[in-house]
Amino acid sequence: MKAAEFDYVRVASVEAACRALAEAGGDGKILAGGQTLVPMLAMRLLRPTLLVDVNRVASLQVIVAGGGEIVIGAGTRQSDALADEIVRRDLPLLAKALGFVGHVQTRNRGTVGGSIANADPAAEIALAALALDCEIVAQSVRGVRTIPIARFFQGAMTTALAADECLVELHFPAAPSGGGRGCGFHEVASRHSDFALAAAAVQLALDGEGACRSVAIAVGGVGGAPLRIDAATERLRGTTLAAEDLAAAAAIVREVVEPASDLHASADYRRRVAGALVERALLDARSEALAGRN
Amino acid sequence: MSAEPNSAFRYISRKRRTKEDHRFLAGNGRYVADIALPRMLHVALVASPYPAAHILSIDASAALALPGVKAVVTGDELASGTDALASGLDIPKVRRYPLAVGTARYVGEWVAAVVAESRALAEDAAELVEVEYEPLPSVSDPEAALDPSSPPVHADHGSNLLYRRKFVWGPVDEDFAAAEHRIEFRARWNRNATVPIETFGVVASWDPTAQLLDVWASIQMPKFPDQLAKALRLPGNGVRVHFDVDVGGSYGVKRGIKHSVLAGYLARRLGRPVRLIEDRLENMRGGDAHGPDRIFDMAVAFDSSGIIRSLRIRALDDVGAHAGRAPFQLGKPIGAIVGPYRIASVEYEAISVTTNKTPQEAVRGFGQSPTNFALESAVDRVARHLGIDRIELRRRNLIRHDEFPYTIPSGSTYDSGDYHAVLDKALAAGGYEDLVRRRDAAREAGKIAGVGIACCLEPSGGNSAFEPLFNPKNETTTWMDSCSIKVDLYGGIVAMMGTSSSGQGHETLVSTVVGEVLGRDPETIRVVHSDSLSALPSNSPVGSRMAIMLGGAAAGAAKKLKATITAIGAHRLGVAPEAAEYRDGDVMLASDPGRRLTFDQIVEIAHRKFHELPPGLEPGLQSAHVMEVPTGGTLPTADGRVQMYPCYAFEAHVVYLEIDRITGKVAIGRYAVGHDCGTMINPDIVHGMTYGGIAHGIGAALYERFAYDGEGQLLSGSFMDYLIPSSHEVPDITIADHCTPSPLTSFGQKGSGEAGYLGAPAAIAGAVNDALAPLGLSLTELPMTPGVLGDLIAGAG
Repeated sequence: MKAAEFDYVRVASVEAACRALAEAGGDGKILAGGQTLVPMLAMRLLRPTLLVDVNRVASLQVIVAGGGEIVIGAGTRQSDALADEIVRRDLPLLAKALGFVGHVQTRNRGTVGGSIANADPAAEIALAALALDCEIVAQSVRGVRTIPIARFFQGAMTTALAADECLVELHFPAAPSGGGRGCGFHEVASRHSDFALAAAAVQLALDGEGACRSVAIAVGGVGGAPLRIDAATERLRGTTLAAEDLAAAAAIVREVVEPASDLHASADYRRRVAGALVERALLDARSEALAGRN
Repeated sequence: MSAEPNSAFRYISRKRRTKEDHRFLAGNGRYVADIALPRMLHVALVASPYPAAHILSIDASAALALPGVKAVVTGDELASGTDALASGLDIPKVRRYPLAVGTARYVGEWVAAVVAESRALAEDAAELVEVEYEPLPSVSDPEAALDPSSPPVHADHGSNLLYRRKFVWGPVDEDFAAAEHRIEFRARWNRNATVPIETFGVVASWDPTAQLLDVWASIQMPKFPDQLAKALRLPGNGVRVHFDVDVGGSYGVKRGIKHSVLAGYLARRLGRPVRLIEDRLENMRGGDAHGPDRIFDMAVAFDSSGIIRSLRIRALDDVGAHAGRAPFQLGKPIGAIVGPYRIASVEYEAISVTTNKTPQEAVRGFGQSPTNFALESAVDRVARHLGIDRIELRRRNLIRHDEFPYTIPSGSTYDSGDYHAVLDKALAAGGYEDLVRRRDAAREAGKIAGVGIACCLEPSGGNSAFEPLFNPKNETTTWMDSCSIKVDLYGGIVAMMGTSSSGQGHETLVSTVVGEVLGRDPETIRVVHSDSLSALPSNSPVGSRMAIMLGGAAAGAAKKLKATITAIGAHRLGVAPEAAEYRDGDVMLASDPGRRLTFDQIVEIAHRKFHELPPGLEPGLQSAHVMEVPTGGTLPTADGRVQMYPCYAFEAHVVYLEIDRITGKVAIGRYAVGHDCGTMINPDIVHGMTYGGIAHGIGAALYERFAYDGEGQLLSGSFMDYLIPSSHEVPDITIADHCTPSPLTSFGQKGSGEAGYLGAPAAIAGAVNDALAPLGLSLTELPMTPGVLGDLIAGAG
C-alpha cells in the first residue's frame, strides 16, 4: 500500500495547474482533497507520473451567487459548501446531498469538484448536480469550455474531462424562485455514509393550486453513472403528486434503471429501492413545497 | 449499570483507573512499527492471483536489478531452510510454509518475499517478480469440498476432509424417538473475523555471535517462541521474543507464525534486521486470519411442555486452504455444547474441510459464538413451534442455580451460575415489557419490528483440552500461566508476566491482584512483560483465561511472598509465623499489634541482613507461581468426554430493532445485556470488553463478511467492502452486572474477554426473526445485510 513513484508539484493558479497537466502529457492528476485519489494511489490502482496539488489555489474555493446562477469553485471543501449560506438558501438539494457524503472528517478534506471529477456511480454530489442541471467549467492550456452535466458522466469513474483539463467551476441554475419549492434526497447505504446502494434526488416547484410546475428526478448507485429520469418527470408535471402519481413515477424509475448485482445488493434490490427512494424523495419535496407555499 | 463493589475486597471490583490508560490515551504505546533497528530491511510480498495453481517458475531478475533490493525469496528456498509450520491435527501430508511451495492454494497466498531498503521499494520490486502459473481446478464451497470428487486443496492428502468425528453423548436416538416433537433446520455462519486496526507486524534480528534471534511481534499466540524456534531449526533458547511490545488489537487473530518464521529466516539469511508489517490488503487476503465459516444442520427433540430432550448438531466448517487452528474451533464449543440448558443427550458431528480460500485463525470465542447462534436459533424455533413464549421456554430449560456444579453430556462441569437471575436482570434493564409494547405498536403502524433474546455461555480459563480430543497423539493436559514478583531494596514491587498483552489490561489485572493480596496500593506496583527467555512457562491471553490464570498466578505468587514476609517478621519478633499477623506489609504479634516490624524493615532484612533471616530462607524478597488450569490435568475418555474450560460466564441479551420494509436496513432501538462473569477484577475493563464484544457481534450479525465468488476470488478484501460497524451503527448499550463467584478461582473471577460477542449475533438474529415472523419469513444466515433482508421481504410480497 505504498504509491508507485510520482512527481509532485504544488501550484498557485489554475493556469499553472493546466500547464503542469499539459507537460505531464496526459499522465498528470489533480490532487484536491485526495479522499479517493490517495487510497487509489496507495493501492496502485492509479499511477500518475505527476500530482498537481491545487489545494492552495484560492480561486477554486469560492461560492458566489448572481446572474441567475450559483457558482461553486471546484476546490471548495464539502464541509464549507455544506455550511455555506448561499448553498443552504439557493441549493437546498445540494445541501441535503452533502449531508450524506462521507463523514465530517472526510468532508473537511474532500472537495465538491473532486467528487464530480471522480464520477463514482454512487456519489451524492454528482447525483444532486445532475438533478440540478449544473454546468461544468473545465480549463486547459487549450482554453476554457463548459460541459452540461448531462454529457459529463460517461460511465463509472469516467467523465468528459480530457486528461489535460482541470475542473474549475460548477455553475448551478438558481432554484425556481418564490414559494412552492421543495426538494428531497434519500439514499440507502450499508452503513452510515457508505456509498449508496441506491439514492434519489428530487427538486420540484408547485403552483398556487398545488400542481407540479416543474420537477427534476435523478437516481444514483443503480448504473454506471447517475441517471435523470425524465419520463417520470413528464408523468408528474401538472399533477398534484397524489399517491398514484408517485407510484407511477416510481414504476417508471424501476423500468428505466439498469443496475448490476454485487456483493452488497442484487440488481432487483437496487431497482426496487431506487423506485421507493424516489417516492420518498418526492414526498419530502412535496411537503416542503406545500409548507413553503403557505 | 450497577457495579456493586464486593465489600470483601479493597482493590478488586472497585472502579479504578486502569494502569495502561496513561500511555495509550497519550499516544505513547510502543508497537511493532515503533521498533526501528539500525540497517533494518523491509519486506513486501508477491501474492497469488489464482485460487489454485502450480507455480511453474519465478523470475526475480528484474526485481533484483532495482537498486536497494536485497533478496527475493521463494517457497522452494524457504522450504529447504525451514521446517513446516506446526499443525494441531494429525495430518502429516498437509504441509504449510510461510510461502507457497510448488502450489498456490488461495488468492492472496504469498508466493515470494521481496526484501529491500524500504517498504515502498520492496513493493516496486514485488511488481517486477514474474511468476508463471498453471491454473488448477479449485473449490470454494464447503459442501462441494466434502464431495470426494472435488479437487483436493492438498493433493498429497488426497481429499479435502481434514477432520470428521461424530460424538454421541447420551441416548440420543432413544431421546429423539421418545420426544413428542422434532424440528430440523440449517443455520449458516459466514466468514468474518476480528480485523484489528494494527495489522500483523514482526521485526526479527539475528545476532550471529550470540546465535540468537530477537523477535518483536504483535502476537497473541500460545507456544509462539517454541514453534518459531522449531520451524527455524533453532534451539528453543535460540529465539528471544520480546513480550513488551504493545499489540494494536487482536481478539484471536494475531498469531502471525508464518510471518514471523519468514522474517526470522530472512534476518538470518541476510544478516540484517528485517521488518514485515502487513498492509491492509495483505492482511485481509493473505494474513491467514479469517474466522469460522460454518454450516450447522440442527435437529431438536422436545416435549409439548417445551422441555428440550436432545440435540443433533452437524457442524461443517470451511477452514480455507490450511488447517491452522480452525478444526479446534469446532472442538472448543464441545465444552458448552448444550449452552446454558439442561439437555440430556447430544450428538455432535464436527467436520473440517479445506477449500481454496484464505486460512482461518482463532477468532474471539474460538467457535463458540457461531455455536451459540445455532443453539439460540434452535431454542427460538422450539418456542415458535409450540407457541410458548421464548423467555418462558428458556426459563423451563435453563440450568437452575441449585444444580451447580452441573455436568453436561459432553463431560464438562459448569462451575457456577444463576442464569434465571441474570436473565431477569437483563429483561429489567432492557425494559422488556416496554419493548414488546413498542414492537406491537410499531407493527400496528405497519412497521417490521422485533425483540431478540439470547442466553449464552462464555467458557473461560482456556485449557487446550480440544487438542488431545481431536488428536490422540497430543497428550497436552496443562496450559499453565505464571507470574513472578520481586521487591527491591527500597520496597518497590515489580510483577512480571510471561506473555504479551493485546489490550486486555493485564497490568491493571496483575497490580490489582498483587495489591489486594499484599495490601499495597496497586498504583505503586509496576508490572512488566518479560521476554521469552526470562519468562516462566506461560501461554497467552487466549480462551478468556487471563483473569483466571494470570490473576491466579499473580495471586499465588503474592501469597507466597506474603508468607515469606510474615516468616521474616515473625522470626525477627521471635515468634512462630502462626503467631504473627500480616497487615499491609507490616508484620505484628497477633496478640500484641504494638510489637511489629514495618514492611520497610522486613525488606531491609531480606536484602541486607542475612543474619536476621530465618534459617533456610533465600536472601532477597521474591516469589513465583506457575499455575495449572483449574480442573485441568485429565485426558478425554474414549467416547470423547472431556472437561473443557473450567469456568462458565453467562450473558443474557435483550435487543429491539426495526427493519425498513423497502431497504431492509436494520435499526437497533434498544440493547441491554445481563452479564455474570463472577468477581470482576476491574469493572471498567469488563464493561469495555462487553461493549466491544457487542459491537463486534453487531458486525457479525449485520455487516461483516469475507465473501468469495464462485471462482475463489475474495470480494471483500478491503474496508470498502468488508464493513465494520462504526459508532453510527452501535447503539447505546446497558449492562446489568451480576456476580456468581466461581468456586475454582482465586477471587471468584471468571473470564470476560469474549463477553458480548458470544451472544450478540444470536440475539440480533433472534430479533430479526421475531420481526420477520408475522410475514411468514425466517432467516438463519449471517450477516443479515440490507441486500439480503430487502430481497427476502420483497419476495414475501
